[in-house]
Amino acid sequence: MFSHAYLVQVAASGAAVAALVSLAAWARIARPLNPLDDASARFHLAEEFPDRKVEQVWVAVDGAGALAKSGAAALVLCRLGDGYVARQIPWAQALAAAFKSGRIVLDLGDVAAPKAVIQLQAWPPKDLAA
Amino acid sequence: MSKAAFDPVTLATPFFILTVILEIALARLNKVQARYEARDTAVSLVMGLGSTLAGVAIAGLTVAASLWVYQHRLFTVPMTAVWAWVAIFLLEDLTYYWFHRLSHERRIWWAAHVNHHSSQHYNLSTALRQTWTGGVAGTWALWLPLSFLGFPPAMVAIEKGISLVYQYWIHTETIRRTPRWFEAVFNTPSHHRVHHARNPRYLDRNYAGILIVWDRLFGTFQPELDAEPCRYGLVKNLGTFNVLRVAFHEWIAIAQDVARQPRHALGWLFGPPGWSPDGSRETSREIKARWAAERGAPEADREAA
Repeated sequence: MFSHAYLVQVAASGAAVAALVSLAAWARIARPLNPLDDASARFHLAEEFPDRKVEQVWVAVDGAGALAKSGAAALVLCRLGDGYVARQIPWAQALAAAFKSGRIVLDLGDVAAPKAVIQLQAWPPKDLAA
Repeated sequence: MSKAAFDPVTLATPFFILTVILEIALARLNKVQARYEARDTAVSLVMGLGSTLAGVAIAGLTVAASLWVYQHRLFTVPMTAVWAWVAIFLLEDLTYYWFHRLSHERRIWWAAHVNHHSSQHYNLSTALRQTWTGGVAGTWALWLPLSFLGFPPAMVAIEKGISLVYQYWIHTETIRRTPRWFEAVFNTPSHHRVHHARNPRYLDRNYAGILIVWDRLFGTFQPELDAEPCRYGLVKNLGTFNVLRVAFHEWIAIAQDVARQPRHALGWLFGPPGWSPDGSRETSREIKARWAAERGAPEADREAA
């Protein structure tokens, strides 16, 4: 079906891909990303959700994510590689998320971003759980 | 389109590899501004490799279609004439502009194109983050009128290849600006950075392939502003490096929307990305309008800013 030359070309391309990815990993030239704190989490949330007012923010203990309450919505921010991904889900859903082993797993209901894992000290917050 | 005996993309592949190595090496030595994240790079390169395999899979159909159309051509354009190459350069580039604009403004075609914009990085590897589903989306048919006019399919394929190779080098942050005359006429790294940016001001702008004049002509040009650095990626960035999700996520999302509301199937398929029957999502146009309203300035100030 495929010629020998074509298969060699595909194999060589695969090897080139592996070599380039290894080089990129070795070079360590990803964006420097400091762990999130309250201020930086709010900055990113404001950038992602410019029309939402953030009431309260819970920053992940490892600084790799944050969860915020904005009215009836939960704003989710989580780190991916050297960038961030943000989604909005109903607050009630975030509140009901199971807290296990120091982390919550949020179903984002989006095939492009299926879930977010955020490490927190405790969940749900006592003052908002009711 | 058919693989011509002279295939610019195949010939340029060693150049692609060497220049990615060069960009990474120079960035490592702090000689240029470029950022590479290994998993992001892996996705881009695997998408590029997969795209060539997908192209082979659909080649029979595209070659047959272009040859059939060419058999029913209006004129016969000689492949050896200089004027014919000038004409195919302009017409192919114009076709590319509309293909690209359609790929951003209608969801069914955006589904095939979105993966090219899914990286939060902008480097030479991003150029290789190509679609796996362009053949299925059928946008290749937009080039058939050129063969119907009388351009040999091989000539069209070569010109498409030249355009693709040209667009490779503009995926970089290492080149800030080219000479003014060049920026005025050609698509450049600066113009294309705007195209890959998710800032509201920059959304759905600069569709050009080689000549930026089409954007100037059709009102979609936006210069890069030093005061507003480009933030790359999608309005809603991907939350995964899974290459299958990168390749197919928008198709799956369309299928989910159509299955949930079949009555609105046409809107889900052919509406702009972000369209929804109840207006609960936002299109690029709506995002730009909201952004302009929040700034208290008309969107038109983009040219003057």
